[in-house]
Amino acid sequence: MIMKQLLLSISILCLSGNLFAQDSLTIGQNAPEISLSDIDGTAFTLTSLKGKVVLIDFWASWCAPCMKEQPELKNLYEKFIDSVKADKFEIVGVSLDKDRENWKKGVKRFKTEWVHVSDLLFWKSPIAKDYKLEGLPYNVLIDENGVIIAINLHGNELENAIQNHFNKKEE
Amino acid sequence: MPIQQNPEPWSSSQLMEPDTLASLIKNNKVGSMLILSIGPDAIIKGSVDIGPTNDSKNLKKLKNYLKKVSKEKEIVIYCGCCPFDKCPNIRPAFTALKDAGFKNSKLLNLPKNIKVDWIDKGYPVKE
Repeated sequence: MIMKQLLLSISILCLSGNLFAQDSLTIGQNAPEISLSDIDGTAFTLTSLKGKVVLIDFWASWCAPCMKEQPELKNLYEKFIDSVKADKFEIVGVSLDKDRENWKKGVKRFKTEWVHVSDLLFWKSPIAKDYKLEGLPYNVLIDENGVIIAINLHGNELENAIQNHFNKKEE
Repeated sequence: MPIQQNPEPWSSSQLMEPDTLASLIKNNKVGSMLILSIGPDAIIKGSVDIGPTNDSKNLKKLKNYLKKVSKEKEIVIYCGCCPFDKCPNIRPAFTALKDAGFKNSKLLNLPKNIKVDWIDKGYPVKE
């Protein structure tokens, strides 16, 4: 009888899990894998950056607010350049561009030197689905184990989140 | 006194709802209606790829394309890159249609973007 009730409870839990499937990412969950080509055509996986704090920046050259944010991200990258050199921090720019030339021009325009990847599938990119994107710009900050520690922070809030994470590590 | 905002080049009656167009495409009732993509990608099934019309080359391409089209033709344009208030493509394209004298031109109402307002709803996309 107890076993039956237990099985019933588990079934209900599983069902409700499906019924109320999350429609956005949550802090504490593992970041979905990103397996795409970089701007030179070399295969890239997000898991290859395990051990680093990674800012995944979703953007596109056709997205005006994203292009406005690129110089800010460049400043952020410069602020944490020692961590980048020490293999502790990286930015991955995931572009939702459709056109390779426009993507390249967008990267070249601000000379952003982090990892740039894309499948050039615009909003049809499976990554947009995996990360439940509903608009750009959008970003996800993950820790050294690939666990999401912040979602869609910008400006000072983003910088503080990265700094706070490194401070906690040093404590 | 509140600042008067510039009116959009389209009126509310010139907005076509996505479910209306999706249903026309699904039921093969598009007829002679032209569906033009004036954004980064012509995702919608049966649409013509003009390219983002914030680029003067693409705006010229649109104007040239329209030269061969009857002014009575029903035309629906769409972008879907970004929310309407941030989209750089819909205004120059719709203004071009208006200036050229197209009486039956419509803008597809994608207030957020083509992913949320079209793809995620399972509406017809190009293979």
